[in-house]
Amino acid sequence: MKKFSVVGKRIPKTDAPDKVTGRATYGQDFKLPGMLHGAIRYSDHAHARILSIDTSKAEALEGVKCVVTAADVPETRFGFYKDNMPLKKDVVRSHRDEIAGVVASNEMIARQAVKLIEIVYEIMPAVFTVADAMAENAPLIHPKNESNHLITNTYSHGDLEQGEAESDVVVEVSCKLPYVNHASMETCVIVAQFDHHENLTLWSTTQIPFLLQKDLGQALGMSPKDIRIIQPTIGGAFGRELDIYPYHPIAAVMAKKAQTAVRLCFSREEEFRAGPQRQPVEVSIRAGAKNNGDLTFRDVSMTLDVGAYVSWGSTTPMVMMETTASFYRVPHVRFKADCVYTNNLITGAMRGYGNPQSSFFVESAMDMLAEKLGMDPIQFRIHNSNQPNTTTEQGLKITSCGLEDCLKALAQRAEKKLEQPEKTHLKRGRGVGGTLNVGGGARIYRSDGCGATVKVDDFGHVSLITGSTEIGQGSETVLAQMVAEILGVEVGDVRVINSDTDVKMWDVGVHASRTTFIAGNAACLAAKEALSQIFETASEMLGPPPDLLKAENGQIIAPDGNSVSLSKVVRSRHFRSDGKMVHGQAFYDPPTELVDKESYHGNISPAYGFGMQMADVEVDTETGQVKVLKLVCAKDIGLAINPMAVEGQIEGGAQMGLGYALSEEVVVKEGKVMNPNFVDYRLFTSADMPEIENILIESNDPEGPFGAKGVGEMGSSCVAAAVTNAIYDAVGVRLTQAPMTPERVLAALDALEKATD
Amino acid sequence: MKAFEHYAPDSVEELLELLKSKPNAKLIAGGTDLLLQMKEGTAQPETVVSLKNVEELGGFSVSKNGYRLGTGMTLRRITRSNELTQNFPGLIYAAGVVASEQIRSLATLGGNICNASPSADMVPPLIALDAVVQLVSSQSQRELPLSEFFKGPGESVLKGGEILHSIFLPQPSGSMIYSKHAPRKYMDLAVVGVAVRLAKKNGKINEARVALGAVGPVPFRAEKTEALLAGQTLTTELMREAGEMAAGECVPIDDIRGSAWYRKRMVKVHVRRNLEALR
Amino acid sequence: MKKIISFTINGAKQELYLDTRKTLLKMLREDLELMGVHLGCGGGDCGACTVLLNGEPVTSCLVLAVDCEGAEITTVEGVQQNGELHPLQQSMIEKGGIQCGFCTPGMVMNSLALLRENPQPTETEVRQALSGNLCRCTGYAKIVEAVLDVGNAMTNSKEAG
Repeated sequence: MKKFSVVGKRIPKTDAPDKVTGRATYGQDFKLPGMLHGAIRYSDHAHARILSIDTSKAEALEGVKCVVTAADVPETRFGFYKDNMPLKKDVVRSHRDEIAGVVASNEMIARQAVKLIEIVYEIMPAVFTVADAMAENAPLIHPKNESNHLITNTYSHGDLEQGEAESDVVVEVSCKLPYVNHASMETCVIVAQFDHHENLTLWSTTQIPFLLQKDLGQALGMSPKDIRIIQPTIGGAFGRELDIYPYHPIAAVMAKKAQTAVRLCFSREEEFRAGPQRQPVEVSIRAGAKNNGDLTFRDVSMTLDVGAYVSWGSTTPMVMMETTASFYRVPHVRFKADCVYTNNLITGAMRGYGNPQSSFFVESAMDMLAEKLGMDPIQFRIHNSNQPNTTTEQGLKITSCGLEDCLKALAQRAEKKLEQPEKTHLKRGRGVGGTLNVGGGARIYRSDGCGATVKVDDFGHVSLITGSTEIGQGSETVLAQMVAEILGVEVGDVRVINSDTDVKMWDVGVHASRTTFIAGNAACLAAKEALSQIFETASEMLGPPPDLLKAENGQIIAPDGNSVSLSKVVRSRHFRSDGKMVHGQAFYDPPTELVDKESYHGNISPAYGFGMQMADVEVDTETGQVKVLKLVCAKDIGLAINPMAVEGQIEGGAQMGLGYALSEEVVVKEGKVMNPNFVDYRLFTSADMPEIENILIESNDPEGPFGAKGVGEMGSSCVAAAVTNAIYDAVGVRLTQAPMTPERVLAALDALEKATD
Repeated sequence: MKAFEHYAPDSVEELLELLKSKPNAKLIAGGTDLLLQMKEGTAQPETVVSLKNVEELGGFSVSKNGYRLGTGMTLRRITRSNELTQNFPGLIYAAGVVASEQIRSLATLGGNICNASPSADMVPPLIALDAVVQLVSSQSQRELPLSEFFKGPGESVLKGGEILHSIFLPQPSGSMIYSKHAPRKYMDLAVVGVAVRLAKKNGKINEARVALGAVGPVPFRAEKTEALLAGQTLTTELMREAGEMAAGECVPIDDIRGSAWYRKRMVKVHVRRNLEALR
Repeated sequence: MKKIISFTINGAKQELYLDTRKTLLKMLREDLELMGVHLGCGGGDCGACTVLLNGEPVTSCLVLAVDCEGAEITTVEGVQQNGELHPLQQSMIEKGGIQCGFCTPGMVMNSLALLRENPQPTETEVRQALSGNLCRCTGYAKIVEAVLDVGNAMTNSKEAG
């Protein structure tokens, strides 16, 4: 294996010093002269006609600059089903519907003023379950539609009947997965400002600056070319800002009316009530296998409550069908997902994006099959493991694949048996769960590309201007490592600039674990182009042709040992008649395809990552409390550009996954969030976390930069699956609903006891 | 937040005089409950009087009869006291599982009591220790057992102008254990809080206290359970029965933190487990 | 109502005329522009706003600024000495304990309070002390490692010295 200078090293994040001294400027910290503050008035009902809106008392409050309503926004619709509008005019369809906004001299006054807006409603019947929404004579959420049914996604490969006929064992399980919240430590922030030419600049914690330009233009009835998006340091995102939401255009509308910069900053309560949530799913899976261990079929059907306005949650079936069809080798698959409108919450993208859900039900079925076959759960998975250089029936071109290595690593760890504690009411168990995650983005948009520019100045300072976004995951550092490796300079000599749509080249957004892979490849290509320019000039200076030169330690070195400093080469190239800059550019768009619109077959990603987790749990059979003692995480990441950063993603993902498994749930009653705070929405704290062991499997992807694949999502997807299987191993009950709270576990234990009595 | 006047008296006399002239004033000690309520709008006082400078309320004193704990003692200070830890380990444990270190630096013993939350962690242990509260106004002084201090969720017997001055704990007798049942190790409100104290003589229980929190409108003594235990030898069967009895005495509600059936079960389990630990 | 309060902030004396409604958090961010103190929830539940008040870690969102008369307040901006990072800050950087960084100042302040009282905490003690600081990025592992490492470094230097 080639030895690298900086790639593969545990290099501290380049932005860490600013963050640890409190110097980093987050959206909350950003100020502009004359900036005012906005607050939003939300609906008081889940479904109602707006009869009148009286803003006079709000406008009269001292400190209020102006009030905005739908009258201040052009008649636009946005969202990929064009079903949402910035401020609601005639009808509200959920408790989180935005009706009006207030701009004031400070946030306290703005929030006081929104309470003074008087709205008269005619309450309409509302629906809060898929069943109610699909019932005959159910109230229509969007009257222009015939029913509340949005879309049904179906997929199949092979022949399900044949698969059933070939099965020696068949299992069936129904699962229910909850709403959960991203719970980034920073809440959403937007600052909007128009200039004298009516150009809009938005400072936003968005993950999709370029798509936001387009979507915002549509929502505001203005040209996207007049919109500039700048991203401050972002305090976590996890998919929350992968779409345009009403607050984006509302901030712009406020700025326009107030004729000055306006900041909208979500409170924590708003994050829970008005932000997007992870897509809840109710699903049934039937699966079969032969006595020799071969999987035969999977038959999955699910319903998705997508709330009143469509966002990315409604597209999670794409990912869930991918896991159903392609995770482990299954010859016959049928999949159906019904997405239905209700008066509930907006569902968006969230880390894993359908995989925490699909890992849960697929891996539950796998364990049930293994049990019926009398096979060890890990060996059963190895038997059906995906292999390198194979194409799945769905059309996924799996190149590098470390799944079997992940499983074998877990099998080796599992040789150390779990000892039962002395206290007889405590029972320990062990379970595994895994995930198939795209390892290099997913072509869900016409372009999956990212642009990069590398420029080297006269002093040897390198600027990487990348379309991608740093949301805290460490992409800046990893990209700097790649560029530094290629140019032979120190990581500290490379500054990554990634925050302004006027400066950086296009990128579709930070999602689908694509940044290391796609932004990485773009950065490498740009760096190589810059290097070729450096070598061209260095060849003139040193003698040998460019292809014999090396770049190391800030020097360009000839085979005979003669060298010249990189910065000297740049100056030589620059300061002469007909001088030139060192400036490399690239736009990397991976060799993938949009899946077929009807069959959903196709190769959506240039690489696929695999992750497995093994959980050791201890169940208190008297209280139902589940303690996770240890998590072993084996992840196929291609190559770890920065092992410390990769571990950080896995460990952080584990915290999110544990919450999903055991304690986190956005509780919604009649469309209203009942626990919009961190008291009753329970994140795992440092005291709750188990021991985590990381095993990084390096399968060296042929297309990935230096062989790397993405890891951002894998860490959170498998935990709930591993935990439910571990609980079953411990106490013989299969929990099919997450989170697996003590009450649910105890109820299941009681039911088991009753059944066996 | 509604605008308010703020006073920071230096002495108990000054404090009581202020409260006499402004009987609707809210007292702020740590502020971890009140400030939250003021932000949410559920409390909108026009006057706020801070206890922070009243040093007399921030410490404790010892006499041959027992310990007098000042209402203004922070939970952090309580957990750092070697003397209190030695004499009332169960109480110190309870103080250490309230919220977080940051909240415990601010939150006071008096605040935890006077906020009158049914799930307050300090209350069941104090009740089990036979705590007596001293209520003081500029004109009066009275004492009553802590178990009689609560009227309902968020409501105490404090009259206008009156403060909780101090909490008296008799010299420790027997051992007291507090169990907090909550989803996470820290940061959570108790789903069920169970304090059990037993004092034994010649192998028999001569004092039994079972105090329950979060399973009724106020924290209370499970008197039938106490009567069941009094004078008995602790056997496996008795412990199991006591758990059942206590579960029968509580009246929990279904709420977002727990269902009534689950809370009853947890009372059964924790009463029994605490008794096992005190065997 | 407004009141004048005087206090010490990061070693410097300060006097301000403030609305009684202002929290310590808002005062630090708005009046003193100490932006390292972050607003995560406003309810004392996440720890992002943790500062030291008379040496003790507190969630500044639940403290009235006017209750800080005469107090000594330290924020993350006051942790460096003479431009040198504190060993804890250095350790956090080196161990990878920082991702998005939003929880970081609160983690630093609470950890400092712990280390000043207990220079060589066990892992359990560190996890307990930091349980009031939520983090969504790191899973806490490397933060805990960073704090333990500082404790060890202080022991080793004592042994060497």
